[in-house]
Amino acid sequence: MANHKKSDENLKGTLYATFGLGIFIIIVWALCFNLFIDRF
Amino acid sequence: MHIHKYEKWWLSFGAAMLVAFLVIVGVSAFHNGTHPNNSKWTINYEKVDEIAPFNQPGVHKVEGKDWDYEVVLVASAFSYNPMNIEIPVGSKVKFIATTKDVIHGFEVAGTNINMMLEPGYVSEYVTTADKVGEFLIVCNEYCGAGHAMMYSKLMVVNSNDSSNH
Repeated sequence: MANHKKSDENLKGTLYATFGLGIFIIIVWALCFNLFIDRF
Repeated sequence: MHIHKYEKWWLSFGAAMLVAFLVIVGVSAFHNGTHPNNSKWTINYEKVDEIAPFNQPGVHKVEGKDWDYEVVLVASAFSYNPMNIEIPVGSKVKFIATTKDVIHGFEVAGTNINMMLEPGYVSEYVTTADKVGEFLIVCNEYCGAGHAMMYSKLMVVNSNDSSNH
């Protein structure tokens, strides 16, 4: 379909935003978990 | 149903993260024992001073158990007994605590030791003190007018130092 390729391009920003947020959450979570593991 | 390629990616990513975090939480809780006190040990809070081990609060060296020391601690408005706890670094310690009156907290700042002490229940926590230092113990459950003054101290010392005392 003619619109199909266009919607592919449109989702690229959403992909970056989603994975960006996902990676941010994982990094923050990992830092907190490391703090927890490091303490006695 | 058509699902966009990118949508498949982030749906898979999200589902994988959900599974990963649940596994970590599960292992922490069931294997490493990271969970709230199980409240299996109950006590008459009006007679705490007469009931062992709370008739002798303090640090006790124990033999033949999975831990080296037992710290028996009684909280009451607005203080902890004992006031100072001293244990050698690297020792495995079991904290056994309860309260004589209202709900108190037992948080050792800068560590993972953080228990709620409820009247009628005994709270326990086992840990290996692997860092030398002085740690402030604070009450983190509002217990009354003197709540802010309610504190104690945990000192983790080198074994050589403690033998001089």
